[in-house]
Amino acid sequence: MTTRVPFKEGLFEEVSGKWALVGCRCKLCGQIFFPKRKVCLNCLSPDVERLNLGCIAKLYSFSIVHMPSEHFEPPYAAGWIQLPEGIRIFSPIRGWQEHPLKIGIDMEITIEKLWDEGEREVIGYVFRPCVPGREDMKE
Amino acid sequence: MREVAIIGVGSTVFGKFPERVIAELGSEAVWAALQDAGVTPKDIQFGYCANLYGGMVIGQAVLREAGIVDIELTNIENACAGGATAFRRAWCDIALGLYDIGIVVGVESMTTSPVAGKLIPPAKGDISGELGMNMVARFALSQRRYMDVYSVSLEQIAKVSVKNHHNGCLNPYSQYRKELSIEEIISSRPICEPITLLQCCPATDGAAAAVLVSRDLAKKYTGKPVIVAASVIRSGDYSYRWKDITFSDMTYKCANEAYKMAGLGPKDVDVCELHDAFAVNELQHYVELGFCERGEEVRLIDEGITEIGGKLPVNASGGLLSKGHPVSASGVAQIVELAWQLRGQAGKNQVTNAKVGLAHTLGGEVTDLESGAVAVHILKR
Repeated sequence: MTTRVPFKEGLFEEVSGKWALVGCRCKLCGQIFFPKRKVCLNCLSPDVERLNLGCIAKLYSFSIVHMPSEHFEPPYAAGWIQLPEGIRIFSPIRGWQEHPLKIGIDMEITIEKLWDEGEREVIGYVFRPCVPGREDMKE
Repeated sequence: MREVAIIGVGSTVFGKFPERVIAELGSEAVWAALQDAGVTPKDIQFGYCANLYGGMVIGQAVLREAGIVDIELTNIENACAGGATAFRRAWCDIALGLYDIGIVVGVESMTTSPVAGKLIPPAKGDISGELGMNMVARFALSQRRYMDVYSVSLEQIAKVSVKNHHNGCLNPYSQYRKELSIEEIISSRPICEPITLLQCCPATDGAAAAVLVSRDLAKKYTGKPVIVAASVIRSGDYSYRWKDITFSDMTYKCANEAYKMAGLGPKDVDVCELHDAFAVNELQHYVELGFCERGEEVRLIDEGITEIGGKLPVNASGGLLSKGHPVSASGVAQIVELAWQLRGQAGKNQVTNAKVGLAHTLGGEVTDLESGAVAVHILKR
């Protein structure tokens, strides 16, 4: 069986069947960070709590890239994702050929294979446009 | 703090020269700056060399070829702002009285670098970099949102590239000397949508250098010293504090600090070299540098205000878009261009009676920050 390894440890986890990004919130000033930090980089308080970040987010901006990166062949999509908690993260985007991207649309996180590394599959978070009416999107 | 003056500048022609080694490129610019200043290698007390991709002690290799050895010499890396950072360090050393005369050189050989023919990624292991971020994508994401939220068209953005390529045609140091049309720019191949090839600066080899002295010493060498009225550098802030990716907070803060330091305002600037790595950058920087209010930046292009004959010429040299962008050399090259402008020696690119010049560079991509570094320098005659 193929081994699946995250591209970087500690960034995401599965909680009751749903994937989430693992961030943190400062209990003193309320600032949220992704990835999580040991101290708040805003107010320097060590009192930070682990916080799973929302899996439904908004597309803040996007680009279709037409040249290769270290791990991706063109064309690939990437963008800034506005998380419901108020911070933005950069993420690969999938499903853009089927569902044209537009600033402001809802996006959902999935964990997928990013690239192969020898025998191992390297996995990470990607965002896909939310498709209305799909079973797993109903709350 | 002592006032600091530039007494000599020099540059190689910018272009693709894979056969030329970095030491050769850099020392050509250094010799030109020394000659321009009327000083000998032995007069130089200290130096800074900016370089990103060349490897170990590039400054030593460069200055060795110019007969400058056995001095305090520091190599600098700050991505696209490296050259400006090196200049700032030299300014500090003289302003603080550590030394009286020094040299700054920025040099890059992009065609022989590990990123030749590739989009420039962040440093190895950077999270965004692993996920497909590169320097073009970073600004493509800004451009997409800028076009969407502020209703700016691709044609309007392309006009920056048209203007700067026109200016490049006049500049013998420019990598590209070819007029471009809006149509050609928009229909060139997409790199990171909506950025097409001709909205991007090219990969460039080249070097630029400047000799700095304390102002009281300048008159010994030249009747036309260029005074450094302000020198400011900032590193990037956390991106969670960055409210709008179409507005560079770092540039805005740096510019305001520089104006305060110089006792001047945006209205006093006669000529500006700013970081037009991509055409869209120039429009956005007009606002951040205080040249106009948000929403008026397109008018500056449409009405020709930032052309060489206009009220506020921007990137009269051709900018990074046409003159080229040898990464660590660009910050010094902007200083070289402004020195020529303020001394009335900019040839066909000359802006009439320029008294105050502003240089702006922005460099580096790293996860969680707006950018790596921004530098603003204000020069006056």
